[in-house]
Amino acid sequence: MKHLNYRLKPRLTVALAISVLISLMLILLELTPWAEQINLQGYSHGNGEKPDIPSYMRFILPFVKELILIGVPMLLTVFVMKFYGFLKSLYKAKRINN
Amino acid sequence: MSDWKQNLQKTRYVMDVIFLIGFMLVSAPQATGLPLHEWFSVVLIIPFMIHLLLHWDWAKSSFKRLCSKVTIKERFNIVWSYLIYLMMLLVFVSGFLVSEAIFPFLGIPLEIQDFWSKIHHDSATLIMPMLGVHLALHWSWIIKFTKRMTTKETLA
Repeated sequence: MKHLNYRLKPRLTVALAISVLISLMLILLELTPWAEQINLQGYSHGNGEKPDIPSYMRFILPFVKELILIGVPMLLTVFVMKFYGFLKSLYKAKRINN
Repeated sequence: MSDWKQNLQKTRYVMDVIFLIGFMLVSAPQATGLPLHEWFSVVLIIPFMIHLLLHWDWAKSSFKRLCSKVTIKERFNIVWSYLIYLMMLLVFVSGFLVSEAIFPFLGIPLEIQDFWSKIHHDSATLIMPMLGVHLALHWSWIIKFTKRMTTKETLA
């Protein structure tokens, strides 16, 4: 892959360095009062009883959830962009006619 | 499709599809199980880095373009890309800090904080609609290259 190999080492070093630096800064979030509050309140996820559903559904449902969480905002955004483009072309046509 | 390694746009397309499939596999720990979820996450760093490297020129010029006169869509796209990058890092960082398989496997003791559990769950859920918007912003490119990659190119 020539495009990936082009200046790979310096680029990868910079990308990794920036990502690691930001990640280290993100770790500092645990020192904030917000983190302290959540730790005091307590939080547990996924420790409850498993719902009584067939095993194949337990495999499929997480992907369905993903498709909905990604797909719905994606389609809504595409719709908004198309609608905005339509309004813009309508406005342009009106200006030309006038 | 055989020449995808020679063409930057096609290379981006193939690597982005791999990244998306990997992301979807990693984002379903209930289906894959926790150990696989954690190890897949480590592997996902590779397509994530490849994604950054293949969009290097865009990333380099994006900040300059943000300060110049650009369309609302492009401005939004740049800010959104920065946000999704930060969110991705937050998901990775919080994921490592709540690791139940990798760190014990490596013999590193780790005391899991409720804060990081909540951050990991919330950021991992939030990144999905963010990804949806990110994909929508490149919709025309996705459609164009899906057609180009799936149709056989005929010699003129």
